[in-house]
Amino acid sequence: MRYDVTITPLPTMALFDLKGRAEALRDWAGAALPPFPDRPNSACGDGQGILMWLGPEHWILRADLDREQALEATLRPAEAPPDLSIVRVSDTLAFFRITGPEADAILAIACPLDLHPTRFGPDGASFTRAFGVSALVAQYTEGFDLAVARSYAPMLTRALAEAAG
Amino acid sequence: MTGKRLATGGRIDRNRPLRFTFDGRGYTGFAGDTLASALLANGVRTVARSFKYHRPRGVVTAGVEEPAALVELLGPDASGNRQATTVPLTEGLAARSVNCWPSPRFDLGAVVQLAARAIPAGFYYKTFKWPGWALYAPAIRRAAGLASAPDHPPQGVYETRHAHCDLLVAGAGPAGLMAALVAARAGLRVVLADEGVEAGGALLSRDLLIDGAPARDWVAAVVAELAAAPLVTHLQQASVWGYREHNYLMVTETAPDRPGLTARGWRVRAGHVITATGALERGIAFAENDRPGVMLAGSVQTYLHRNAVAPWRRAVVFTNNNSAYAAAADLAAAGIVVAAIIDSRDQVPEDARARVAGLPLRAGHVVTRVLGRAGLRGVCVASPDGAEARIDCDLLAVSGGWNPSVHLWSQARGTLRYDADLAAFLPDRAVENVTAAGAAAGALGLPDALASGAEVGARVAGLPAPAVPQASDLPYAITPLWQVAHPRGKAFVDLQNDVTVADVELALREGYADVELVKRYTTAGMGLDQGKTGNVTVIGTLAQAQGRAPGEVGTTTFRAPWTPVAFGAIAGQRDGPLALPWRETPVTRWNIDRGAMMYEAGARWRRPGYFPATPDEPMAEAIARECRAVRFGVGVYDGSPLAKFEIKGPDAAAFLDHLYTNRMSSLKPRRGRYGLMLTDDGLILDDGVCFRLDAARWLVSGSTGHAEALHRHLEYQRQTSRPGWRVFITPVTEQWANATICGPQARAVMQALGCDFDLSAQAFPFMQLREGHVAGLPARVLRVSFTGELSYEVNVAPRHLPALWQQVMGAGAPHGILPVGSEANHVLRVEKGFLSLAHEVDGTADPHDLGLGWVMAQAKPDHLGQRAVAIRRAGGGVRRELVGVIPEGDTPLPEGAPLTPGGQRVASEGFITACVRSVVQDRWLGLALLDNGHARHGETAHVRLQGGQVIPVRVAAPIHYDPEGERLRS
Repeated sequence: MRYDVTITPLPTMALFDLKGRAEALRDWAGAALPPFPDRPNSACGDGQGILMWLGPEHWILRADLDREQALEATLRPAEAPPDLSIVRVSDTLAFFRITGPEADAILAIACPLDLHPTRFGPDGASFTRAFGVSALVAQYTEGFDLAVARSYAPMLTRALAEAAG
Repeated sequence: MTGKRLATGGRIDRNRPLRFTFDGRGYTGFAGDTLASALLANGVRTVARSFKYHRPRGVVTAGVEEPAALVELLGPDASGNRQATTVPLTEGLAARSVNCWPSPRFDLGAVVQLAARAIPAGFYYKTFKWPGWALYAPAIRRAAGLASAPDHPPQGVYETRHAHCDLLVAGAGPAGLMAALVAARAGLRVVLADEGVEAGGALLSRDLLIDGAPARDWVAAVVAELAAAPLVTHLQQASVWGYREHNYLMVTETAPDRPGLTARGWRVRAGHVITATGALERGIAFAENDRPGVMLAGSVQTYLHRNAVAPWRRAVVFTNNNSAYAAAADLAAAGIVVAAIIDSRDQVPEDARARVAGLPLRAGHVVTRVLGRAGLRGVCVASPDGAEARIDCDLLAVSGGWNPSVHLWSQARGTLRYDADLAAFLPDRAVENVTAAGAAAGALGLPDALASGAEVGARVAGLPAPAVPQASDLPYAITPLWQVAHPRGKAFVDLQNDVTVADVELALREGYADVELVKRYTTAGMGLDQGKTGNVTVIGTLAQAQGRAPGEVGTTTFRAPWTPVAFGAIAGQRDGPLALPWRETPVTRWNIDRGAMMYEAGARWRRPGYFPATPDEPMAEAIARECRAVRFGVGVYDGSPLAKFEIKGPDAAAFLDHLYTNRMSSLKPRRGRYGLMLTDDGLILDDGVCFRLDAARWLVSGSTGHAEALHRHLEYQRQTSRPGWRVFITPVTEQWANATICGPQARAVMQALGCDFDLSAQAFPFMQLREGHVAGLPARVLRVSFTGELSYEVNVAPRHLPALWQQVMGAGAPHGILPVGSEANHVLRVEKGFLSLAHEVDGTADPHDLGLGWVMAQAKPDHLGQRAVAIRRAGGGVRRELVGVIPEGDTPLPEGAPLTPGGQRVASEGFITACVRSVVQDRWLGLALLDNGHARHGETAHVRLQGGQVIPVRVAAPIHYDPEGERLRS
């Protein structure tokens, strides 16, 4: 390969789209949610899941798929009060993990966002673009997780492979 | 000196000879050569023929400014119109001259020179007017022009990437290196990009000292320090060619550090930009100044110092400034006889004289004419009293002064000012966050360039300017000379486009007084080199002719790209299958395995068009078979791409009433309604259905493939039109894939699948929604229909769709279920008169035009687009309205075909939006938008095809099937 990277498609994960005021969400979800990140475009995890702050009054909760039903039962999307929106979106995104010494090179090819460590810290998470389509990027210990709408997954698989050489 | 190479020196590797061919002959050069330097080293003087007059041309410069030495690369590197001065020599390189046959030395096309006096600028456009330019253009373009385009796409692998930095420095000459060093030491994130093979810029072309050591040593030390700086990205052979808004710069790297990678495009967002792009030498216009052997003096130095090339025996130097004195000294040091230094200035500064002590200097003289055709034999020199004398030489090194490279600066919309002392245009006021440094800012001597780079770099870093290394240089001084008049011979101001002083003067005589008009009339400054060596000479010539200062004449607009760049490095990896994104649904693999004809159907979705029963089955038969299955049995299609959104919030109901023309707030839970969304200007944006999930949650469904555009619209309205409202919009297009089971037997299939809710028409009627399980899978089922038949849109998580699909096919097998592609879907919706984006909803129609006035709820006080519709309609005028059309003679009608009154060749009165082969009527029928169409049912209209064929059509209501909707409600 042209670049020293490993690209791994990740299995479907439990994802919940959360909108509303943080305190209201915290009150409604209780311990089901990890601590809220303290600044936008960052993530916070508790070992059970990761909460990404992605926009004004907008978070995505990410957890292993085997927690999906339990989270659904706890978060009760259909019963949430009108000023909260909780929507299960587990199937909307396909995640790819890009790791290795040159993971940043692949992300530079894919994505216009400034992902330098001085700008995008170890807890960074943000919506962006990847190979011309909407994407979500999150810092991972040894690289990045990159997600696109699931329908684009075959295209992204090929684009990442060609970028890596 | 050995032959045409110096025995020592140069930045070439004499241990790495490289073989190459030029015009079919074999030659040898060295690693480190360009094609131009290798040709010079092999004694090749005529490299190409010129664009218009087929005049022999040789190498003039040593870089991207080269106007004349254009070649065509052959073989795997095939590309046309490459500047030989920018082509690195490689083993096996093959090239040939442009615009000549059979060879550049003997070119049959040169016969055009016999008529050269009769074909000045504008000749073709003024002469070949009748009956039209198009008649003559092909032959003229064949005779003129340069290389032809390669007959195959470029071979290679390209990449584009993004980069961000605090500071981008364009140019790694003394100022650029200094600025990058200061910024790097201050801890800034720096991108340093330079188009040379190695850093150093002009320092590599001259013998200069920095801190008492060769300047090249200083360059090496700086490069090493930058390489060790973790926040510095240093790119060589990387041209910064485009400066976009908000400091977004385009860089093409032609020798990236990865094996197998041909070129890499960088898109750099920079906090600040320093244009340290140096300066380019310009020529002087005098008779026959284009002959091979006439070169720019600074470029001669480059060939001596970088390539150790010295193919000349006897040189004349012609200048109006000090810089050529260094060139004369370097020529003499290389063992070349300097026959004379011709300086147009009466007074030559003493320090310049001292630099060439012992060499013959003729102050106040000018070169009037060049002697020789394909090879320079000598020059005519005029003394101040006008007496002409001949001096034999095989090289004329010319310097008409230096133009700071302000191209990037100007692309960034920075203004320029003319500096009379330097006789050059300099950066003035910046618009973007950009600063010029070094020669690009007018600091034309080495000490000033170093100081300028350090000062600007420090300023960007917010620090005081540091001390700079010690250096000395011959101070620059100039008395401008733009042209030398002579009664014989052409005096060129733009070699690439064969533009002469006479052409510029003709333009003025014909009234083209503005510099931009002169450019367009003469083509001076166009082409590959964009007039880098000639533009200011044109301006000076204009100024002289008009009695104005060059600053009053001004410059033409500087546009990207600064240098020619490969399309591949712009496209990067977006090539072949990745040229455009594509999307798949969870059953794409099933469709492909089933033999479906797959293609894009809306917003990049790769979907089945139709399913041939056998590989030989014609498309029309397959589509008809699928249509019949839906009309008379049952079919299933993959509706996953339908746009879907969950909308919630205390103000969601009001928000939906704002978006839709009709009222959605009155819906009861689990009920849905068809609706239209309009744009601000009252035209249809999208149509779809809206369901109420519960008291506060809604499901909005839009057109297939319209999800992203619709999402932008929803968010735009929420954030800008109703910013205070509490509304949450969540796209769920990808969360709910669907199998739409449709046809008279759809209920039977649903029952066979097993559902935990009542499927009867009474319990689950049209336009209702149920959440439960289908075939044991969690599902959200909508009773909507796009085919006009009983339909169940079974939505499940995409991970479950393949399983559901298999079960649907199994449950439907006893009923003859068929998968249905987008083609059959199109036929069915046209039969029913349902709308489709980009067909009937074409960006000009409002709801009334499409017969949907009923959906414009009059009781609602307001909705988006309501007022615009009312205003437009109050203005009267003819509207194009939706009608059905039935072609007489049962022939197909091309979609988009115009309807014209009586089929005459006059302005159209409408067009065909869709035409299909109906299975229920067994004939062709279609839909159209027709002027006043609603009032014209029963009339005959006429489709006019290309070529004049006319097809009469009967105008009818747009619903060709089940107008009461009984079947879809069944």
